[in-house]
Amino acid sequence: MVAFRSTEASGRPTGLLFRCVLYSLLALALIIVDKRFDHLGKIRRLLSVVAYPVQIAVASPFEGWHWFRDSVTTRDALRADKTRLEAELRVAQFRLQRYEALEAETVRLRALRDSTAGVTERFVIGDIMNVDLDAFRERVLVDKGAGDGIYVGQAVLDSGGVFGQVARVGQLTSEVILVSDPAHAIPVQINRNGLRTVAVGTGDINRLKLPYLPTSADVVAGDLLVTSGLGGGFPAGYPVGTIAEVKRDPAQSLADVDVKPAAALDRSKELLFVWLKPQAAELQPAPKPTPVPKK
Amino acid sequence: MMRETRIRRMPMALSALVALALAVLPLPAVLDAFRPDFLVLVVFYWCIESPRAGGLSLAFFSGLALDVIHGVVLGQHALALTLMGAWATNLRLRIRVFSMLSQCLVVFALLTGYQFVLFWVDGATGNPVTTFSRWLAPFIGALLWPVLIGVMGKVHER
Repeated sequence: MVAFRSTEASGRPTGLLFRCVLYSLLALALIIVDKRFDHLGKIRRLLSVVAYPVQIAVASPFEGWHWFRDSVTTRDALRADKTRLEAELRVAQFRLQRYEALEAETVRLRALRDSTAGVTERFVIGDIMNVDLDAFRERVLVDKGAGDGIYVGQAVLDSGGVFGQVARVGQLTSEVILVSDPAHAIPVQINRNGLRTVAVGTGDINRLKLPYLPTSADVVAGDLLVTSGLGGGFPAGYPVGTIAEVKRDPAQSLADVDVKPAAALDRSKELLFVWLKPQAAELQPAPKPTPVPKK
Repeated sequence: MMRETRIRRMPMALSALVALALAVLPLPAVLDAFRPDFLVLVVFYWCIESPRAGGLSLAFFSGLALDVIHGVVLGQHALALTLMGAWATNLRLRIRVFSMLSQCLVVFALLTGYQFVLFWVDGATGNPVTTFSRWLAPFIGALLWPVLIGVMGKVHER
């Protein structure tokens, strides 16, 4: 079987070793500079613009199919949707009736305690682009970037709860790391009793864990976990998940707690990027909340 | 000679672009770990087929594109692809006379080396990915090699 046809392969490529060493050193230098210093942010942003057409080209057939399916839905399906949405809206409005008053009260109470942590100021909606990033890390690409004011570390929510945070920003796109990524941790508290802890991703999209709770901790399956707002990255009070299972081994000092994420990590299409209100400097006894300039 | 080189670059760039698109094509999460490194196979093919057309430059810049698209530390895939591309170029005369089975084995070794460099850089930069499934890609890639050669041969004939 003759697989290769060309004859010039017998010719010696000029300076193979030289080029190999040159490119390898260049790559090593890139790795070190990118890891140790922050100078490559601009270059990466530019490169991500170059990669954008490829990502668009891959995502567009799927977008086209979605558009096609949306435009040919039947009247019955639309009516069913309408009825369902109206019912949901009714419930939502009912719940919303007291929201304004409650928010005002929260802000007032927080002001009394010199903390404004966790009050959201504004948000922007981004669409998840239909491309796969690394298979071994839980990340998604979203079509909002530095041009829309997105910054690294920004909190990202979906309609169910906390989705993740921004890991990297390009000019037109940004990468969001999911709460289920093994490298992600988020400060949470149990809504029932205010117990504070940290929820860590597992790499499994349907499971988080609470590795730092003692076996004696007051936690039962079904408890709601909300963000505690500590650390300042996430707004306080948004649902992170519900406790799925608590395993207590008397021989261990720490309990084994599984959490089911509240956000639809594998199904959401639209995400909310949240800006927090300027915070008073934390851990400093300040007489008044002094606003810091916005990021 | 000059004319030949100019003609040869076009399928090279095109096949690399297509492979890059395949690398980000959305797959169900279950299949994602089984995705072969298409772009790496294409780079190996060109390193073996026409080493003087700049296979190593192709390797470096393809690697850079993978770094950007995967969102990992810049230079990781570039380093792995450059080293393995150079090895493939060095082995090209032997690979060309190998039977298909031996070719697949060599490609498997190259792909494993590629994964190993990625693994090492992952660890050195502090984001180790220790799941066993990352070592599946070389298997799938090696199985795909005969198909790739057939397709690329057709492309190259045009």
